Amino acid sequence: MMIDFLLNNFERYKKEDAVVWRDKVYSYEWLLNRVRHYQTEIQTRNIAPGDVVVLEADFSPNAIAVLLALIDHRSIVVPLTKTVISKKAEFFSIAKPEYVLAVDSDDQISLSRLPYDPEYPFYNVLREKKHPGLVLFSSGSTGESKAVVHDFVSILNKYKKPRKSLRAVTFLLYDHIGGINTLFYLLANGGCVITVQDRNPDTVLSTIERYRVELLPTSPTFLNLILLSEAYQNFDLSSLKRITYGTEPMPESTLKRLHAVFPDVDILQTYGLSEVGILSSKSKSSDSLWMKVGGEGFQTRIVDGILHIKAESSMLGYLNAPSPFTEDGWFNTEDAVEQDGEYIRILGRTSELINVGGQKVYPAEVESVIQQMENVVEVSVFGENNPITGQIVCARVTPRVEQEEKEFIKGIKKYCRSHMESFKVPVKVLLTRDKQYSARFKKQRLTSTSHS
Amino acid sequence: MNVIYDVIDDFNEEYSDYHLEKTPNTILFGPGRQLDSLGFVNLIVAVEERLCDETGQSLTLADEKAMSRQNSPFRTIATLSEYIQSRLEEQS
Repeated sequence: MMIDFLLNNFERYKKEDAVVWRDKVYSYEWLLNRVRHYQTEIQTRNIAPGDVVVLEADFSPNAIAVLLALIDHRSIVVPLTKTVISKKAEFFSIAKPEYVLAVDSDDQISLSRLPYDPEYPFYNVLREKKHPGLVLFSSGSTGESKAVVHDFVSILNKYKKPRKSLRAVTFLLYDHIGGINTLFYLLANGGCVITVQDRNPDTVLSTIERYRVELLPTSPTFLNLILLSEAYQNFDLSSLKRITYGTEPMPESTLKRLHAVFPDVDILQTYGLSEVGILSSKSKSSDSLWMKVGGEGFQTRIVDGILHIKAESSMLGYLNAPSPFTEDGWFNTEDAVEQDGEYIRILGRTSELINVGGQKVYPAEVESVIQQMENVVEVSVFGENNPITGQIVCARVTPRVEQEEKEFIKGIKKYCRSHMESFKVPVKVLLTRDKQYSARFKKQRLTSTSHS
Repeated sequence: MNVIYDVIDDFNEEYSDYHLEKTPNTILFGPGRQLDSLGFVNLIVAVEERLCDETGQSLTLADEKAMSRQNSPFRTIATLSEYIQSRLEEQS
C-alpha cells in the first residue's frame, strides 16, 4: 500500500531495465516479483510492522527489493553500508534494531534477531501513524554521529510527481540521503539503477560507457579526481547528459574546468541534508555556483547570512540529540550563503569558517585558488588558533609529482598572494601524500580550532 | 640571531610591502613597528618553521603566555632572539 505508486510503475515498465549489477541486467518485472517474494518472506519470518530493521547492504537487486518490501511492511529501516563498519556497534546501540538483514556480496540475504526492545518517542510516532521509518546517521565530523529519524511516507511523497526517466550510476551511498534520493528518483520514473562495485574513476567511467549512463550524481572531490587523472579521455562518455554535484562546496576552478571538458553536459548543483531531505535546485548555468533552491514542500530563508530551511520532508528528530528545529519548524543548516535576488551561493559550513583578526575566510575560496595550480592534486584549508590574529589560515596540499618542498610551498604562497586578499593567504602550508577525502568522496578538513 | 636574519632575507624578498632592517634594534611589534599583525604572524611562523628545520625542535613562540608578558619578547629582533634562546634552553 505504501509503495503502490512504485509497484504500478514497475508493472508499466516491466520490460525495461531496472537494475544493473555486476554486469547483469534485471528488469522491472524481475524487481516486482522480487518485492512480492520478500513481502511474503517478511510475513512468514514474523517481523512485525514498526519493528526496527538494520539493512546491511549496498545497491544490489535484492537489497533494493527487500528495502521496498520493508517500507511496504511499515518497518523502521536503518540502512548501513560497509563504509561505516567501524561504527557499527555505536550505530546499533543508538538505533537498537530488533532485526538485522544482511545482504552479502553475492546478493544473498540472512536474517538475525537482536535482543533490543527499542522505545523511542519518534519510533512510537511512526508506529501510531502506521508509517514506515528511515534512520540515517549524519556523518558529523566531530563527536557522536546523530541518528536522524524520518517518516518514509513524507520522503516518498516527493517522488509521486512524474519526472524524466534516466539511467544513472548509484555513486552516492545506499545509507546516505543522496543515495536514497537517487534510488527513488530512478524507481519512480522507470529509470535504471546502475550500480558500481567501487568508486574509482576508471570503474565509474567504464560503467558510464558500457551502460550508456545519462546521469552521474557525485561530489566535487570525485569530479576533481576525474579531471586530474584525465581518465575521461579513455572512455566514450557521449551518453552523459547530466552531472550533479553536492555534499560539499564546489571549488569554482574545478567547475570551470569540468564545464570545459564536458561542454554539452548539464552540470547542476544539488542541495540537501540528512535532516531535511534533498531540495529542488536549479543552477544558473553549467559553470555557475549560483543556484535557486526550494521547490514544492520547501521554504527557505536567510538569517544573518545563514540558510534556514523548513521542509515537509523534514526528519521527525534525532534519536540521540535535542531537536534542532525552531518552534515553528525551521532548521538552521549552518551553511553560510551569499544571496543575489533569487539565487544563492554556498560559501561553506560556519563550523569551518576561519576568523583572521575579525575577517572571515571560507576554506572553499582558498582551496579553489590553490586547486588551479599545476602540481596540486588536492588541497584542504583549515584554521589554527593564534594569539595574535585569533586564527591563521593553514593549507594541506597533496602534490601531483615530487617537488623541492620549500620552493613548492613558496610558490603556493606567492600564487595565493597574487590571487586573494592577504588575510586569506595561508600562513602555513603543509605537504602530504595521503588522500584527503572520505569514503563518501567528501573532503576531510582538519577541524578549525576556534578561539573563545 | 642568524636564524632570524635568514628568515628576514626571505621575508623581504617574499613580501615586497615590507622591508625589515637586519639590526638588533629593528622593531617587530608594538609602537613604531612597520609590520601589521598579519605580517608579524607570517614572520613568527617562518621563524618557528626555520627553527624546527635547524634544531629539530618544534616551538610555538607566539602563545598566550608570551603575548601577555609585560615586556613583550617580540618587541625587537634582539628581544626575540633572547626569548628564543631561553625557550630552547627550557626545552633541552
